[in-house]
Amino acid sequence: MSNSQVPQSEHKTKDADSSNIPPIPQEPTGTGEDDSQTHFGFKQVDKTKKASMVADVFHSVAAKYDIMNDMMSMGIHRLWKRFTIDCSGVRAGHKVLDLAGGTGDLAAKFSKIVGEKGQVVLADINNAMLKVGRDKLRNKGVVGNLEYVQANAEMLPFPDNYFDVITIAFGLRNVTDKDKALASMYRVLKPGGRLLVLEFSKPQSEMLSKAYDLYSFHLLPKMGKLVANDSESYQYLAESIRMHPDQETLKAMMESVGFEQTTFHNLTGGIVALHRGFKF
Amino acid sequence: MPAAQLVSSGIERIINQLLKLDASSVLLLQKLSNKQLSVDIHELPWIFKFSFSDQVDVLTVMPDEELLSDCHLALSLSTLQKLKDTSQITRLIQNGELVLEGDVAIAQQFSQLITELDIDWEELLSKYTGDLLAHNTFRLGKKLIHSAKAKANRLATTLGDAAIEEKRIAAPAILVVDFCDQVNELRSATDRLSAKISRLESQSTLSPNKQSN
Ligand SMILES: C[S@@+](CC[C@H](N)C(=O)[O-])C[C@H]1O[C@@H](n2cnc3c(N)ncnc32)[C@H](O)[C@@H]1O
Repeated sequence: MSNSQVPQSEHKTKDADSSNIPPIPQEPTGTGEDDSQTHFGFKQVDKTKKASMVADVFHSVAAKYDIMNDMMSMGIHRLWKRFTIDCSGVRAGHKVLDLAGGTGDLAAKFSKIVGEKGQVVLADINNAMLKVGRDKLRNKGVVGNLEYVQANAEMLPFPDNYFDVITIAFGLRNVTDKDKALASMYRVLKPGGRLLVLEFSKPQSEMLSKAYDLYSFHLLPKMGKLVANDSESYQYLAESIRMHPDQETLKAMMESVGFEQTTFHNLTGGIVALHRGFKF
Repeated sequence: MPAAQLVSSGIERIINQLLKLDASSVLLLQKLSNKQLSVDIHELPWIFKFSFSDQVDVLTVMPDEELLSDCHLALSLSTLQKLKDTSQITRLIQNGELVLEGDVAIAQQFSQLITELDIDWEELLSKYTGDLLAHNTFRLGKKLIHSAKAKANRLATTLGDAAIEEKRIAAPAILVVDFCDQVNELRSATDRLSAKISRLESQSTLSPNKQSN
């Protein structure tokens, strides 16, 4: 799904005053690569189709997403996310973009920390995920400085040099053109700002790697079937995790679009890694 | 496993639970809203930052990060307990027990808030650091056992026998640390023994060599 095809009224849904975000410069949309293929999990699919196939996956998991998240990671994803926030250097008054933010775990916390003078944008390509997120955050009493924007990470509808912090947690691996997405994030980040990419990565030990494969390819789809009655989506999740670039590759990708002082931190033996890069 | 985040999430959860139970704390919290207070407790390896809104978020200040907060406190666990008496703040600063930088009003309001909530810091922290030590000890082995040992000693004095009997949650962690201490002692005993053996061995191989020369 291309961002520019979404009418403006559907495109943005928010709690706060929309005047907070200045007018949007359009990024070019055509890539000229429509004939080429990309991977959807282990399958090869048309590049143009991947986004909508990913959308289908998250459409079907949206309602049960939070429960599955807790089950799949045994609650550890909460600590990974806390670690991400601790590494973000976020302060009162900051502007934060939680990209591929889904049901808004990170956005909720950011919204409390940046306070009334700050601004948090929860952006996701998928309306169903945003809706679940919005309902959840409203119940938590998070309103005022938080906006919801339906957007594709590859062509972010925000001005240049706008955000102090951008996070993308468990989202980058679903994006079709990751280089394009990283470049787009770089563009909307303020000089001095930083990007944090929390994503599944390559387990550092052979044994952990084997155990983890067993878990994600066998147990995970079964759990998905049991809890969400949707083993296929979770099969996709497992496959997409395996296809995602490893630590060093992602670091190099960030550097090649301009990020500096790029580092990564392995969490839980490298099952997950947090990459951080600055724009100067 | 991010250990600091395990502890900060524990502290955060307890504070916010207490806040929910205590209607009168809401006003105190409102005064602190949009402020950030960093606290360096000597006994802990991390600096925590309390961010106030309609709730309290507890962040960990990363070592490579600038310490940017409206008020900063550095103190020991026992002084934290004394902070419950707001009138003591000046005296604590004067006798060097408390280092305070920034807005003193925030420290006072924070002190009022924790008095109102009646948080037992020593118990709260020892519970989480206790579990944490137990956790780490298993994971990282010998090196951590050493630091765990030192910390276990501190924990033991803080907790006291009564606490172990009453607060059953704290007990297992302590017992595990204690067990690890014993393993550690056993290990150094074995190390000594094996050193002795290899010394004897080298002596016995050396002597015939000497003779053959
Ligand atoms: C696994 S969820 C992560 C949600 C949340 N960040 C978390 O950590 O719980 C991945 C999210 O990425 C979104 N997503 C996938 N492709 C995207 C794209 N190209 N642009 C923006 N969001 C995308 C999905 O809709 C989904 O909500």
